[in-house]
Amino acid sequence: MDNLTDLPNSDGFFGEYGGKFVPETLMHALKELDETYAKLKNNPKFIEEIDQDLVQFVGRPSPLYFAKRLTDHYSGPQIWLKREDLNHTGAHKINNTVGQILLAKAMGKKRIIAETGAGQHGVATATVAARLGLECHIYMGAADVKRQSLNVYRIKLLGAQVHAVDSGTATLKDALNEAMRDWVTNIEDTYYIIGSVTGPHPYPMIVRDFNAIVGRELRKQSMEQFEQYPHAIVACVGGGSNAIGIFYPFLEEFNVALIGVEAAGSGLMSGKHAAPLNDGEPGILHGAKSYLMQDKNGQVIDTHSISAGLDYPGVGPEHSNLKDSGRAKYIAVDDDEVLSSFHLVTKLEGIMPALETAHAFAALEHIAKNYKSNQHIVINVSGRGDKDINTVATMDGISLD
Amino acid sequence: MEYLLTRLDDRILSLNKAKKKALVAYLVAGDPSLDSTLELMHGFVDAGVDILEVGVPFTDPIAEGPIIQAAHDRALKNNTSLSDIFKLVEKFREKDSKTPIILMGYMNTFLANSQALQEAHTSGTDAVLIVDIPGESNLEKFGIKNKNLAFISLIAPTTSEDRISQICNKSSGFIYYVTLRGVTGSSHLDISETEENINYIKSQTLLPVFAGFGIKTPDDASNLSKISDGIVIGSSLVEMIHHQSNQKEFKKIYNYLHEISEAINR
Ligand SMILES: Cc1ncc(COP(=O)(O)O)c(C=O)c1O
Repeated sequence: MDNLTDLPNSDGFFGEYGGKFVPETLMHALKELDETYAKLKNNPKFIEEIDQDLVQFVGRPSPLYFAKRLTDHYSGPQIWLKREDLNHTGAHKINNTVGQILLAKAMGKKRIIAETGAGQHGVATATVAARLGLECHIYMGAADVKRQSLNVYRIKLLGAQVHAVDSGTATLKDALNEAMRDWVTNIEDTYYIIGSVTGPHPYPMIVRDFNAIVGRELRKQSMEQFEQYPHAIVACVGGGSNAIGIFYPFLEEFNVALIGVEAAGSGLMSGKHAAPLNDGEPGILHGAKSYLMQDKNGQVIDTHSISAGLDYPGVGPEHSNLKDSGRAKYIAVDDDEVLSSFHLVTKLEGIMPALETAHAFAALEHIAKNYKSNQHIVINVSGRGDKDINTVATMDGISLD
Repeated sequence: MEYLLTRLDDRILSLNKAKKKALVAYLVAGDPSLDSTLELMHGFVDAGVDILEVGVPFTDPIAEGPIIQAAHDRALKNNTSLSDIFKLVEKFREKDSKTPIILMGYMNTFLANSQALQEAHTSGTDAVLIVDIPGESNLEKFGIKNKNLAFISLIAPTTSEDRISQICNKSSGFIYYVTLRGVTGSSHLDISETEENINYIKSQTLLPVFAGFGIKTPDDASNLSKISDGIVIGSSLVEMIHHQSNQKEFKKIYNYLHEISEAINR
């Protein structure tokens, strides 16, 4: 068997998952992207340019922070936080966009498109496009435009155009559909910056590689700060980019438990959730084979989550393979657990996590008891929560007007 | 790919013999209802359509423009499933045993019904066109290869020459050339690029090449038919079906198809 870190294969498969299931018009662009990336990824000048951006523009490395009061609260393992919320623009999403925009530049593309759910990827894309003076269009489900209005305004301030998508469930999935349609239509001059480890090959690989800086830093920081690798790493999973970013450099460290946390929405039993790895079947959506929330006829089921960034019926193909191989475990927490965790972390640590990230924190309620006080758990703090205060206020019955 | 000859091959042979261009018409099964789809299919044939392309609705049809997306949504509101569509084809065959039927849809719906797909030919289905799978893919790997069905492949203006020959080698029935960069129903038709590309494809295969995407008027149809072996009409039909469906008055649609059929064989 291949090492897990050697995947995907040249056809873009992680085991049976992944691939390129796209309309023919896109095939050439995917091949071009694959070739460009293969050529550049080991090019010293390209690496140097990205590294410099990560340090000077993004603010890397992000700290590894000991959460003392949270540790005391659970009186189990030592809880450490990988602070992606401190990145420029407030989430891990910028790690991917600073890399992909350089691919776009190398390919001579003049027009940038992206989908976004929580708006973080939209902001991160509009940010790097602004910096290079490129035309930028962001597709966003109409429901998400409402619940993430702060980020919509940020995207507009950055000079990008926001297209609200009304079709289907008017959330992330539909934004992706519309971005793909735009790409099919404007294939010659347009670069599509996908925001997670989803979509057709080579995107799941490229987005993973650009986010893997998080796990690489953690390898070093954990050795420096507590002289061993963590016993467990916990991350929320929407498409799965922040999770794979921190998991990937540990895939071959079999003593490190990898735990992904999906959105159980109103509860796994209710059917109203966004947890394909917990309650889905393999299927094909947005260009890749992966676990998918679908009915027996192969129609994609409507999802629900309090967090726009996890409200997606699919998941990156590499996670499906990690699930089947048993290398990573995937659990799910519901909206209520997430909201209490959001408040808990904010009050105890003075860190207000994004609602997506609060899923990873909420997992502590389930798993903290399994670890001893000399063991270390790292939570990937994928983003900060400013964008979510309207949603939290509404849930708490408070009016901000 | 090994497969048994179907009605599709018979029809292509006889069109060839008569030196006629093929008129392929698309509609979405279950839009607005399966009963009207059945009525429309027979009506299309009477109006001069040679091959029927029946859309299998999917929640996330990424290659479709707004008109056909909306039709997929309407069909799904009626819970139209692939097994309903096999029954529809069976009913159609009670009165028409000759007109070839192609099911056109997205990989996930076929994958979820891969078992049923093995029996599809018994309902009278002749071919399958999967929009979101590259033409050179190994269908066996996904459990959907089937010697009783033709698998139609798409070639686009962006398809490279080496892939064109790979796709041609794996194809049966005909090659579906996508005339534009875009989703169904757009209007960026570029006749001279299309002609050049179709000529190249024809240098690589003996299969007929049909052109589709973006054909609206009898003039479009006539222009494209001069450089191809047939044409596919989709969005404009789906739009007319939607507008006429309340009155159940499909005559206008049949007149339109008749005009197109005349235009391509003038
Ligand atoms: C802060 C934050 N975390 C997590 C996610 C989920 O995405 P992924 O699973 O790709 O990390 C998002 C997506 O918008 C996000 O904004």
